[in-house]
Amino acid sequence: MTAIVAVRDLRKNYGEIQAVRGTSFEVAEGEIFGLLGPNGAGKTTTVEILEGLRKADGGSAIVAGVDVSKDPVAAKRRVGVQLQQSAFPENLTAKEVVELFAICYDVRVDAMALLAAVDLADRAGQRQEKLSGGQRQRLSIAAALVNTPRVLFLDEPTTGLDPQARRNLWELVRTIRSNGTTVFLTTHYMDEAEVLCDRVAVMDHGDIIALDAPRRLIAGLLERGFTKPVVQQQANLEDVFLDLTGHGLREGD
Amino acid sequence: MGQTLRFTGMLLRAYARDRTALFFSLIVPLMLLVIFGYLNLGAFGKVSLAIDDQARNAASGQLVSTLRGIDTLEIRDESADAARRQLKRTELDMLVVIPPDYTIAPARPGQAVPQLVIVGNDARPQQVSVGTAIITAIITHTTFAVSQIAPVVSVKQERIEGVRLRYVDFLVPGILGVNIMQLAIFSVAFALVVDKRRGVLRRIMATPLRPSRFLVAQVLTRLVLATVQIFIMLGVATLLFGYHSVGGILPLLVVALLGAILFLTIGFALAGWAETENQVPAIAQLITLPQFFFSGVFFQKEAAPELIRPITNALPLTFLNDALREISVQGASLWDVRSQILGLLVWTVIGFILAIRFFRFDRF
Repeated sequence: MTAIVAVRDLRKNYGEIQAVRGTSFEVAEGEIFGLLGPNGAGKTTTVEILEGLRKADGGSAIVAGVDVSKDPVAAKRRVGVQLQQSAFPENLTAKEVVELFAICYDVRVDAMALLAAVDLADRAGQRQEKLSGGQRQRLSIAAALVNTPRVLFLDEPTTGLDPQARRNLWELVRTIRSNGTTVFLTTHYMDEAEVLCDRVAVMDHGDIIALDAPRRLIAGLLERGFTKPVVQQQANLEDVFLDLTGHGLREGD
Repeated sequence: MGQTLRFTGMLLRAYARDRTALFFSLIVPLMLLVIFGYLNLGAFGKVSLAIDDQARNAASGQLVSTLRGIDTLEIRDESADAARRQLKRTELDMLVVIPPDYTIAPARPGQAVPQLVIVGNDARPQQVSVGTAIITAIITHTTFAVSQIAPVVSVKQERIEGVRLRYVDFLVPGILGVNIMQLAIFSVAFALVVDKRRGVLRRIMATPLRPSRFLVAQVLTRLVLATVQIFIMLGVATLLFGYHSVGGILPLLVVALLGAILFLTIGFALAGWAETENQVPAIAQLITLPQFFFSGVFFQKEAAPELIRPITNALPLTFLNDALREISVQGASLWDVRSQILGLLVWTVIGFILAIRFFRFDRF
């Protein structure tokens, strides 16, 4: 396995709080890697260190062959990011947002092709702030792809989206991976991690406590004798919801 | 540089679509100019002067007709008593009493010279000082003429006086200065605090774009806006009020943009300090309001109480307004206003230090 992300003994403190305490892991090139964990586990801090947005207090992080702490700008050039709780400048159209990010990376892009890739070609001329939640997430992925990154970081990409928009985004993530981009995502949704990720790392209290393919983590749990009261249910409420409302994206999404 | 300029272009494109921002940065300043231009043009520009000519001879007739020829003065024939009553009610700014023995003749030793009495209304100090200056100048010229040492250019000097004393010519540079201050501080502080809170700055900083280029683009955007604002204001002032900058437009623009850079540094410091956009107006007003009143925007800064004048003289906007006014009214060159420019630069350094202290990219 070729590691495109290699983290060694990574540490980050905020005052007294140890947000990341000596964690190590690797992400293979071409996989969809999920970082799971409850709020405050240190996921976002870890991702932001890998993105070059925060300085680590100790340890090392190599992303796409670059030591992030030594050359954050070079690391930023090689990755694409979609941040939690971030926004685009107002009063720009979707197309202009893509162009703005191309300027930030100092590259030339075919903005329309990128928008088409995230199914937003028909929204190119619309103001960014008028897009729906799902559209805006897809736009932020288009903006993250302007530099044809080696690794795409997605921090809770489906939070706040309806089931249709989530599934649509999963498809988009799979397409991006099949084009050769490694995807590193964080999520609170275990079903999402299970169907989307090749491997997941579970983080708690600033350290990774499990890392494997979702199916093998489940198998391991069952081997340890875990059982839960089984109600044979061939469908769940989400299946009902999708059956009733369909898989198609909604107007305005 | 190309990257910075392209980024600036994007910011300008977004700005051009922002109706609220356009309204506040382009229309409000114009309103300020037009309202004050119309309101105070008459009130200040004309000094109402009553003349009680008790001599009624050739010399006094000549003096009165000279006074009548001056645009700034609004002459009324009144008896001294009637005029004093009008002064009390501030229906009049000044009264001149020409004594019965008024004459223009070389003084002879031992003979008293005729005494002109000028009564000024204390409630209208600026008008009185303007009127007194005009009358004194005329008397001096007349005296020179009699003493046979009159300079040939005396008539021309009077005309320059007339242009210089128009309120609008005083007002326009002041309005220009105050609007540059408002635009620079408010547009940067508001926009960047909103961008900071919404996570726009974090997103931009996740790209390899250098912070310095981002900042330069922000500054360039505002300088372009300031330039547009300046030209619109000068255009409207010229069309509506016949404004004319004696020192030309270029030095005016240079000084205005230096002032813009100074106030931009303060805007950045404020944007870095404030957590939400609600904190911006309070602090911004605290910074701008005293300068609005004490830096000679609408009135001579000498109108401020003597006690605080050392402070008002050192305000950033005072340096800006003084330099703009020297250029616009007196025809000063950039070199002539070097001390004001130095003052602006000192404040820019202070603002720059504050901006670096408060506007930290690693905190977004």
